[in-house]
Amino acid sequence: MNTFADKQTLEDLNLTGKYKPGSVFSLFNKVQTRGGEKLLEEMFRTPLLNADEINRRSGLFLYFSKTPYVFPFQGSAFAFVEDYLCSGGQGSLLSTLVYLARKRVMFAVTKDEGFVQLREGIQASITFLRTCRTFIDGFDVKDPGNPFISEILDARAILHDTRLAGILGGGDLNSLVKLASVHHLLTYTMQKEMEQLLSTLHQLDLFIAVGKVAAQQGFSFAQAMPEQEYIFHATNLRHPSLEKAVGNAITTDRYRNVVFLTGANMAGKSTFMKSFGVALYLGHMGFPVAANDMVFSVREGLYSSINVPDDLAQGYSHFYAEVQRVKLIADEVSNSRSLVVIFDELFKGTNVKDAYEATLSVTAAFAEYRNCIFIISTHIVEVGEALRETNNLQFTYLPTIMEGNTPRYTYQLREGISSDRHGMMIIEQEGILEMIRR
Amino acid sequence: MRFTTDQQTLDDLRLFGKGGDGSIYQQFNRTATRGGAAILEEWFRYPLSDERHINERSGIIRYFSGTGQAFPLRPELFDQIEQYLANQDERSRLTGREQSLKDRMSGLIAEDSEYKTIHQGVVALVEVVHVLRGIDLGVPAEKEGFETLLAEPVFVELSQLPFKGKLPYEKVVAHDTQLRFRHRDSVRRLLQRIYVLDVYISVATVARQRGFAFAEAVPKGRLFLELKGLYHPGVPNAVSNDLTITPESNIIFLTGANMAGKSTFMKSLGIAMFLAHMGMPVPASSMVFSVQDAIYTTINLSDNLNAGASHFYAEVLRVKKVARELSLGKSLFVIFDELFRGTNVKDAYEATVAVTSAFAGHKDSIFVISTHIIEAGDVLKERHDNIYFTYLPTRMQGTKPIYTYTLEKGITADRHGMIIINNEGILERLKSGKPKITKNRLV
Repeated sequence: MNTFADKQTLEDLNLTGKYKPGSVFSLFNKVQTRGGEKLLEEMFRTPLLNADEINRRSGLFLYFSKTPYVFPFQGSAFAFVEDYLCSGGQGSLLSTLVYLARKRVMFAVTKDEGFVQLREGIQASITFLRTCRTFIDGFDVKDPGNPFISEILDARAILHDTRLAGILGGGDLNSLVKLASVHHLLTYTMQKEMEQLLSTLHQLDLFIAVGKVAAQQGFSFAQAMPEQEYIFHATNLRHPSLEKAVGNAITTDRYRNVVFLTGANMAGKSTFMKSFGVALYLGHMGFPVAANDMVFSVREGLYSSINVPDDLAQGYSHFYAEVQRVKLIADEVSNSRSLVVIFDELFKGTNVKDAYEATLSVTAAFAEYRNCIFIISTHIVEVGEALRETNNLQFTYLPTIMEGNTPRYTYQLREGISSDRHGMMIIEQEGILEMIRR
Repeated sequence: MRFTTDQQTLDDLRLFGKGGDGSIYQQFNRTATRGGAAILEEWFRYPLSDERHINERSGIIRYFSGTGQAFPLRPELFDQIEQYLANQDERSRLTGREQSLKDRMSGLIAEDSEYKTIHQGVVALVEVVHVLRGIDLGVPAEKEGFETLLAEPVFVELSQLPFKGKLPYEKVVAHDTQLRFRHRDSVRRLLQRIYVLDVYISVATVARQRGFAFAEAVPKGRLFLELKGLYHPGVPNAVSNDLTITPESNIIFLTGANMAGKSTFMKSLGIAMFLAHMGMPVPASSMVFSVQDAIYTTINLSDNLNAGASHFYAEVLRVKKVARELSLGKSLFVIFDELFRGTNVKDAYEATVAVTSAFAGHKDSIFVISTHIIEAGDVLKERHDNIYFTYLPTRMQGTKPIYTYTLEKGITADRHGMIIINNEGILERLKSGKPKITKNRLV
């Protein structure tokens, strides 16, 4: 259960979802192993709520983003060996021998493939363990900066276990007795060790994959601070899924905890808000973020209201659905939870007079909670004018530059309030009215 | 040419549900056979576009709805027949030669499953033919269709076999060759007819149980729509409304407070139009409509960051799509719920006036437009005489808004956004909470 962000937020920010195009999860899902993917899913499901834990984990990813280690296995080959090693063995060498002998006979009589598969599993596992040993031996055991060193030393000990020496050294597997003894060793005698080894590999797979994404995309690592600092700071903050995304700097603290964002349609308001939300979420996972110099206080949750759908089944109009969303967040905030809240175009599903009154009163009431960050975008510039005197608001806008009749967007935050609007211009550019009149 | 639509419209009207809960298709899908369900889905995918076909289909459903005819065949017969027909392997064809000793032996030990399937299929077809010959469907077109098919020798021969019970091996051999290979197409045609019959009857049953009406289609040409007692089939105790649309009133300008029921009304209108173009019964007490070329709705539009489109731009593209269809000379049925809600009110005002004005020039299409921007209505009223202004009212009882869900003529100035927010107690809650850090402690 994700207590940090609810379903609406995850969808607004397109965070999770293995098969969703452009999801943040799929951006990082470059792992080879199923175990690695499970770990990744788990981390996306449960962001950390403690600064030390976050920094410890981001330290791991940071280390692997800077080192050239390559995970030496392909997903399908790994899965094959994993299935074999976890298939479970027989209690004694003798029963293993009987088990194999029976399979061998079945193969001769009925062409049962079980024996062939078993033999292939054993052979693949030996190759696997050899590759593994080379891989693990490649780590510098004296590297004081390696935060994963104790697990690597454990893996090293397993791979250099004398019981494995004979198998990994070579030798044929032609005799049934020999085959049985290897099978018994791998799936029974050393079963615990094999499981431990696989688990270490899953983690290495994930660390290397995430580290590589960070290095390739130019992501950096955020520093988590205790909640009581109530700070957020980042430069070059951008959307991780967009190519050529423009970066922005933003700082909030208890004296400036409300960001009031204006700008024309298409100027990039929603994208900026999503970038902020995604960076904050990834930061709480200890993951690399699409930003520089990011420092943030740990919060208790992230709530966004960007694409709230109506719900006819429950009798909710778009407006009412939004009101319910605001109410939910108001409950959480007034229960002393320290949250980050993103409201994109609140109350656009109503008439302008109501939208003005509602945005104004709700923004003013939320702003009192200085332990929370609020990012609020709106087209109703008059709300900004009315809130000018509230000293913990910072007014920013995304500008539009007109070049003749063509609007150009810089996607770069400026201080102030913008009354830019280009709705009719966009309609004219699309040639819609002429098309209808034709 | 088909009556066309798109995914956005299918989603808006919930014609096909995700997970099958409460979609319009699910509400109608009571077919006995799987083949029937597939045909019903095809009807939904490809509505009709000429009034003759529409009236023919709805006439048949109406007839069955009147007679209360139940589907006359056991549904499991069709699983058996389909399984039987699925095997097209020539080698599985039964031959007339005497069964070899080996065959008999294996037949003794375990019944040959392949033969069992074949036998079951033939017996099922015998039952189907017997039952069909014994009933009178009443509808001339259907009756003749079945009679012509059943008069084919392959089916006549089947009808001479005993109704029920095991068939001797030689008989199965003879009929298997006929049914599964030589006259396979005839068998398929028969099944297809039965599946369609299944749809007719199951839809008729739904119509009768729910009191749906049958729409009458009139030819393209002069725009006409008359709906009485229209309601949303997915809303319990839905309130119904009447509406008449002619070229003198082909733009419906709908206003009303939040929650007054604008979206629901528009959806029910869209659903009725869509169903009517399929020849299906509609959730209304009566409906007459001139056939249109296409239906496009824009009710729940979401932005698409990956395509680089804001909500407003998504709306603009949607309007552009409709504009392109209009410029091709098509007659459309169009719904825009909260047109241009993705932008600021000043842009929305200008854009609503400009676009609605341009639409007003197309008198062979129907446009249903809802908006909060009542000022746009005042201007449009001056400029055009083919706009019908209607609203869904809100009555205040003290501080509580009551909704009638009944259309009234005119433009409303109801605003209850703040009342809803106050009723939910959001501001009080925020004011009564204790922030972890307060202004005072900052100083």
